[in-house]
Amino acid sequence: MSLSAAQPVRRPGRSRLARRRRLAGLLLSVPAILLVAALLWAPIVQAIRYSMTTWNGYSAPVWIGPSAYTSALSDPILHRVLENNALLLLAVPVAIGIPLIIAVLLHEHVRGWRFFRSVYFLPTAISWVVIGMVALQFFAANGMLNQFLADVGLGSVHTDMLASEYTALAALAITFIWSMIGTNTIIFLTGMATLDPTLIEAARVDGLNRWQIFWRVTLPLLTRFIQFAFVITVISAFSALFSLIFVMTGGGPGLGTTTLEFFVYQAGFAQGQFGTGALYGIILFVIMIVVGIGQLRLIRPEDGEGW
Amino acid sequence: MAGASAPAAAAPSAPSAPSAPAAPASRWQSARFRRRVTASVIFAVMIVVAVVMLYPFWYMSDNSFRNQAQFDQQRGHSLAGWTGLFRDLPVVQELVSSTVVCVAAIAIILIVATTAGFAFAKLRYRGSGLVFLLIVAAMMVPLQSIIIPEYVNLARFNLTSNYTGAVLVYAALGAPFATFLMATYYRGISDELIEAAVMDGLSYERTFLRIALPLSLPAIATVTVLQFIQIWDDLLVGYLFLPTNDRTITVGLAVLSSGRTTGIPPLMAGSLLSAIPAIIVYLIFQRYLIRGLTLGMGK
Repeated sequence: MSLSAAQPVRRPGRSRLARRRRLAGLLLSVPAILLVAALLWAPIVQAIRYSMTTWNGYSAPVWIGPSAYTSALSDPILHRVLENNALLLLAVPVAIGIPLIIAVLLHEHVRGWRFFRSVYFLPTAISWVVIGMVALQFFAANGMLNQFLADVGLGSVHTDMLASEYTALAALAITFIWSMIGTNTIIFLTGMATLDPTLIEAARVDGLNRWQIFWRVTLPLLTRFIQFAFVITVISAFSALFSLIFVMTGGGPGLGTTTLEFFVYQAGFAQGQFGTGALYGIILFVIMIVVGIGQLRLIRPEDGEGW
Repeated sequence: MAGASAPAAAAPSAPSAPSAPAAPASRWQSARFRRRVTASVIFAVMIVVAVVMLYPFWYMSDNSFRNQAQFDQQRGHSLAGWTGLFRDLPVVQELVSSTVVCVAAIAIILIVATTAGFAFAKLRYRGSGLVFLLIVAAMMVPLQSIIIPEYVNLARFNLTSNYTGAVLVYAALGAPFATFLMATYYRGISDELIEAAVMDGLSYERTFLRIALPLSLPAIATVTVLQFIQIWDDLLVGYLFLPTNDRTITVGLAVLSSGRTTGIPPLMAGSLLSAIPAIIVYLIFQRYLIRGLTLGMGK
């Protein structure tokens, strides 16, 4: 932050230049500051204010105060919604484990591995709306999944996952896992590219087999990347699935697939409860902060930059 | 689909069994054999995963060329899906909307992120570090947490009756990460280069335009590709902040699908159509996308 290092000698010309530099810096950073302040920071303050009111968006808001939170937190509907978020967390280890295995296999650089890498990363470019649309057909009563089961002689196991609460959430989680494969595989491939190949070679010379090398050498060295993938995956599970839920289930059946982020939309825009919606949004924000602080602590120690 | 990779875990150790009793003389050959078997097993697993990842695309294209009856029986093809799509959805207009919104929002993001990124990296002033931290920290704000006040504000200034509101929100959502990325990039440019340009009589603003900006084209490409895919694929902002007539293709599709009145083949045609621009951008600029993702790791 300090400029002192850049100006060892104070000469008149230098200090005038330094002043011009500071002014230019201020000028060039103003547009970004205005944009972020007006459209990201101000609304957070407003949302905190809204969250302590009862407001339908039209008539005057009625102030409730912090007690809005205590009454909301004892609401069984919120508990059901938070349960869905918690259950979605069960998908996270799978959404990390599968890409980890894929990355390890890709790192063997078998024929065509670049092609495979491109293919696996492709869904990253596709919208959740499109993914949800196909997933809907996959899990439908007369859809791909049942067709596949019938084809392999399991026709008796006829599923209708989207028709009941917990299986619908499972269908959502499976779709989510599929979508995260590309992103997390790339993260792990990047991580493995940073590994020192001589370490692996040394372990091989010491007589460790592939399995042991993976557990004892590769995995510990990838810790930082696994943590990063974990944070990305949790953030996505909690704040990127609106479109998927919108298209696949609309939050149902019942509250079966209503997560916190979808609940904000429903309260605010489907039921016109701006105050309650804002409150759920703040709860989501607090959860994200906790996850985010975790990430900062992970990155900090190894980052010389120190911001 | 989760089960597809399960055999992969066991694959590497499996081929080691038959080679155990090999005589010392054939050890070299058996090691090579083992490696070949391992490679084949890995290759097979890669193929299976590729099928799992690509199947939805095949499914979309296959079923877009069907009418509802052909879809129900899963046999026969026709153009019904595509004609149905163009009947039920103002496709061309929505593609234009998507393009306009993307271009406008990305333009704003690039302007504020390159200027601010350069300022935070090279033209520091008192408090600039804190401001930078505050901007980057805004990445942590989930859209849903601010969506209600955002809506109230934009509606108050009458910005939800045209593209403006949605464009501004997309720009604001993209700006923090883009600024972070640009600042990281500009930090890699030597101070001497900047100071030399200034000594030659250029103002700092011109130095940015003439020297730094052209040097940062790779970072600009990364921001553009990331944001294009993000904005093109978004539903929530477009759904809430764009008037019905200005809907993007992604929003139009989601609304059409939630109506449950349109058959599956037109929806599959629409899904494919809406995915094509993003896929093309992905295929051409893949490495920029990957770089953007890995830069997020603080590398």
